[in-house]
Amino acid sequence: MKKTLYVFSSGELSRKDNTLFFETEEGRRFIPVEDTGEIMIFGELTVNKKLLEFLSIKEIVLHFFNYHGYYMGSFYPREHLNSGFMTLRQAEHYLDEERRLIIAKEFVRGAARNIRQVLKYYHGREKDVARQLNAIENLIAPIDECKDISTLMALEGNIRDHYYHAFDEIVGNPDFIFQERTRRPPKNYLNTLISFGNSLMYTICLSEIYKTHLDPRIGYLHSTNFRRFTLNLDLAEIFKPIIVDRLIFSLLGKKMITKESFDRVTEGIMMKEKARKCFVENLDEKLKTTIKHRDIGRPVSYRRLIRLELYKMEKHLMGEKEYQAFVARW
Amino acid sequence: MNAREINVSGTLVWYYYICPREVWLIGHQITADQDDANVSLGRFIQDYTYPRERKELAVGQSKMDVFRVTDEGLVIGEVKKSSKFKSSARMQLAFYLSELKQRGIEARGELRFPKEKRKEEVMLNEQTERELDKVCREILRILYLPAPPEPKKISFCRKCAYAEFCWS
Ligand code: SF4
Repeated sequence: MKKTLYVFSSGELSRKDNTLFFETEEGRRFIPVEDTGEIMIFGELTVNKKLLEFLSIKEIVLHFFNYHGYYMGSFYPREHLNSGFMTLRQAEHYLDEERRLIIAKEFVRGAARNIRQVLKYYHGREKDVARQLNAIENLIAPIDECKDISTLMALEGNIRDHYYHAFDEIVGNPDFIFQERTRRPPKNYLNTLISFGNSLMYTICLSEIYKTHLDPRIGYLHSTNFRRFTLNLDLAEIFKPIIVDRLIFSLLGKKMITKESFDRVTEGIMMKEKARKCFVENLDEKLKTTIKHRDIGRPVSYRRLIRLELYKMEKHLMGEKEYQAFVARW
Repeated sequence: MNAREINVSGTLVWYYYICPREVWLIGHQITADQDDANVSLGRFIQDYTYPRERKELAVGQSKMDVFRVTDEGLVIGEVKKSSKFKSSARMQLAFYLSELKQRGIEARGELRFPKEKRKEEVMLNEQTERELDKVCREILRILYLPAPPEPKKISFCRKCAYAEFCWS
């Protein structure tokens, strides 16, 4: 599998013959292009058109994060896999309210079921999350009954509220209390971690969409205005609990991230570079770990699971097989 | 899918004998996983059909090896690693021969299996033409299906770049 390149230092990324060349004050190095699947940029980076052209040919997506670690945008080379057939199906399922709802519900259902798995795990480890677990269980069945996207969104928000309120019990660290979900800028350490992790998840999903025939601008749960990527947001819902949140719990549990990992700045709170590195390294490890896949009959990595999810979506859109979201079984 | 895109090609003939589902997928530009660890479609065809330097003849969308030019016409064909997918290869070649014939070029075909020290003639006679005609119709029928034929586990799936797509 191709690697994700994380760039933290500042400098210039350019094309040198058939490789990528990265030059910073600290030094210079060549990066084999065939090995690289996507590049996540956290530092100040200079790029030129020649590089972007090269990345297009090599089908590499660039994701930019600003100084505070917030996602800014992506250089998504022109869709290289194109199937008019699939694009039409994707749009058709968006435009038809009923069909759109079917897919959107499955995203919410998948997310809720994965949330339930996470809570069940901590419930089994004597964490007092029974109340939230119960509340969420009771909200899964009503997903079927939602008649429109806004009711569905409200229900999803409700599920998430219960879920986040279990975080304090799971984390059990007064430095990392949840309070309320705040985004830009996040108002406390835990929210900063969640935002950072979610942003990474969105970009990873976007990179995987790039490897399929789907158009990332057409999402089903998150509505589309064709300017922004939304399908990746939909897809990320399913994987956030089992990948990002679990990672956060484990980093905090092992004290790999503590309140010393953050700086207070005028805009709010930001993670120190070292903490970001620690986060992405562990996320990368997590994405590489494999689980046994029942139907494929061989181990697949978490990262691959994201792709498989997109294949299932494609099959749904093709009218071949109804989409069923991945649910972790542990 | 618009009419212009619907086109039987040698590749589709080849896949027809292996897996009709794959015919549909390729026909709908649902290309297989590019970074599949086992094989990508392009590499697969290359490895299996063009193992060495050759003279190529392009006709329509097809490319074929030219073995020799004789008084009676051209001899074209392909070198295959094994005769495992022989009927696929035979009919693919027959398809090329008929493409040439439509352009007024007489040719004979030859499949070579150097590892097995064998070769096989492919002629465009009445029987092959009838079969070819049937196959092309069948391929078109598949392409016009609203959804792909269901996946069936066959030994080829193991090497197939669509495997994760089909079995996810
Ligand atoms: S994986 Fe098997 S069923 Fe699917 S296209 Fe390939 S050969 Fe056909």
